[in-house]
Amino acid sequence: MEANPAHSRLTAIALAFMAVIWVSPFSWLFLNAFNTASTGQLEIPSAVGLDNFAQAVSGNAGRQFLNSMLIAAGTATLSVVIGIAAAYPLSRLKIPGRNAFLWTLVLLRMLPSAGVLVPLYFAAQRGGLLNQFGVIIALTILNLPFTLLLLKNFFDTVPIELEEAAYVEGASLFQIVTKIVLPMSRAGIAVVWFFSFTGAWNEFLLPLIFARVQDAFPMSVGLYAAFGQQGAVDYGFLAAYSIIYAAPAVGVYFLLRRNMNTGFAGVGVKG
Amino acid sequence: MKNQANPWLTSNLLVLGLGMLPAMLLVGALLYFTAWAFAFSFTDLALVGRKAVEWSWVGFENYERLFTRRGFLESLWTTVIFVFFSAIVGQSVLGFLLAAALRGSASSIRSVVEVCIMLGWLLPDIVAAFLWSATTNQTGLINQLIVVPLGFPPINLINDYALPVVTIANIWKGTAWSYLLFSAALDSISREVVEAAKVDGATPFQRIWLVMLPIIRPHIATNMLFITIWTFTYFPLIFAMTGGGPGTQTQTLAVYLYLQSFSRGNLGYGSAISVAMLVIVGVLSLFYLRLLREPK
Repeated sequence: MEANPAHSRLTAIALAFMAVIWVSPFSWLFLNAFNTASTGQLEIPSAVGLDNFAQAVSGNAGRQFLNSMLIAAGTATLSVVIGIAAAYPLSRLKIPGRNAFLWTLVLLRMLPSAGVLVPLYFAAQRGGLLNQFGVIIALTILNLPFTLLLLKNFFDTVPIELEEAAYVEGASLFQIVTKIVLPMSRAGIAVVWFFSFTGAWNEFLLPLIFARVQDAFPMSVGLYAAFGQQGAVDYGFLAAYSIIYAAPAVGVYFLLRRNMNTGFAGVGVKG
Repeated sequence: MKNQANPWLTSNLLVLGLGMLPAMLLVGALLYFTAWAFAFSFTDLALVGRKAVEWSWVGFENYERLFTRRGFLESLWTTVIFVFFSAIVGQSVLGFLLAAALRGSASSIRSVVEVCIMLGWLLPDIVAAFLWSATTNQTGLINQLIVVPLGFPPINLINDYALPVVTIANIWKGTAWSYLLFSAALDSISREVVEAAKVDGATPFQRIWLVMLPIIRPHIATNMLFITIWTFTYFPLIFAMTGGGPGTQTQTLAVYLYLQSFSRGNLGYGSAISVAMLVIVGVLSLFYLRLLREPK
């Protein structure tokens, strides 16, 4: 856009500088993760190897990875399934006050989750749900307002004429939903699933309160517990553990990157 | 109404209703828990001990304590500083500048910078906290690369400048969201409008200030709404980096709420804090929503 080449070169340099600053904190992480004799210092590794990673996928750490996977995939899938079943009728039936209702819910969710955590904790305790399953249900409850709003917005963009045409051709409601509505809002559904997945994957406070034993810790709590311990900390292990913990959230984003902009358009315009 | 024209819907109302049932149950649970949290704020309920079982109603005592005891107002001030500098100044302005600068850049530069910024956003909170603790401690990157080469003794930044450090960490983490939103907003401005302003002799600054910003005003308000509320209630990063310390220097309301509720066990008082936070967030949202609706 800029006609002035000197100006655009200056912008490019400033941008490159920004990018370097942005990734520089990762230097410590990678230098220590591949350093088999890591001391937590920022230094060029004297011995390079994958021992730290091997340690970070076995035993307790591996178990915590599975816990996180279970919680994140479970929450995302449950949210999307329940969300779709409710968002389609919300989008198509002219229920009075539905938009005000959804926005109220979203605003309600803006309240610090620690506030709702107290009653959630008591309810889970009484229902014997202080475990992974309880975490999944609690996170789904907390996710649902956003899920409903986003999915409804995506369904709104599917032209109803297509559904009419399919009905005339003799398609049932189930066929209309699975053959037309869902494929056409695939990008939106992927975005919602991704948001729920990373949200649950990153979630720290809820499992911190719900998970009572080390076996039940997801990676967020496991990492916090490990680096909270003062004294003989195994920095190489923690660095490798952090990379493994961060990888799925980053990876899912790049897998779905093309869909992301569609999702953001939905968030921004409807705001 | 219009439903008459959609027989595949009207003939299946029961199925559709059944589909909505699970979501409505969960929404009901959310409303129920929220109401419960509200009710707790009028009790002296505790996490453990005698008052965990034999709690009683105490009226507005918890709310009085918010203003009469040290802690709440102090934390509120810390939160205001944290939100203002990290979200409103840092993330928004930086996000906008990046979006504006990258708009005219080659697509290869654009994707590289985008990926770098997104890495901060995608990183789990606890990993980000770990990373920034390591970067700002006495042997960390900033000391080894800047402070020591300049001839100063190493500084324990995370301890001596705790609030600025968590603020910067949050800018690092959250700018991507503002960037993505502003980038989508700027893409929606037609090139003709900008070109026309250019032909009329507007400087780049005028083009941004007088042409682009008014057009994307709704996006600015939306962005402000989201990031203010998120930052206001943001917990894991600060808690994992400093635990609210040293002293109470980085004790934002979210951290204060957690410490009061789950470390001290004062669930009643904790609920009053979260209700107060909800009120503050609600007032802020109304303010931004007005900004959003107001016609030019």
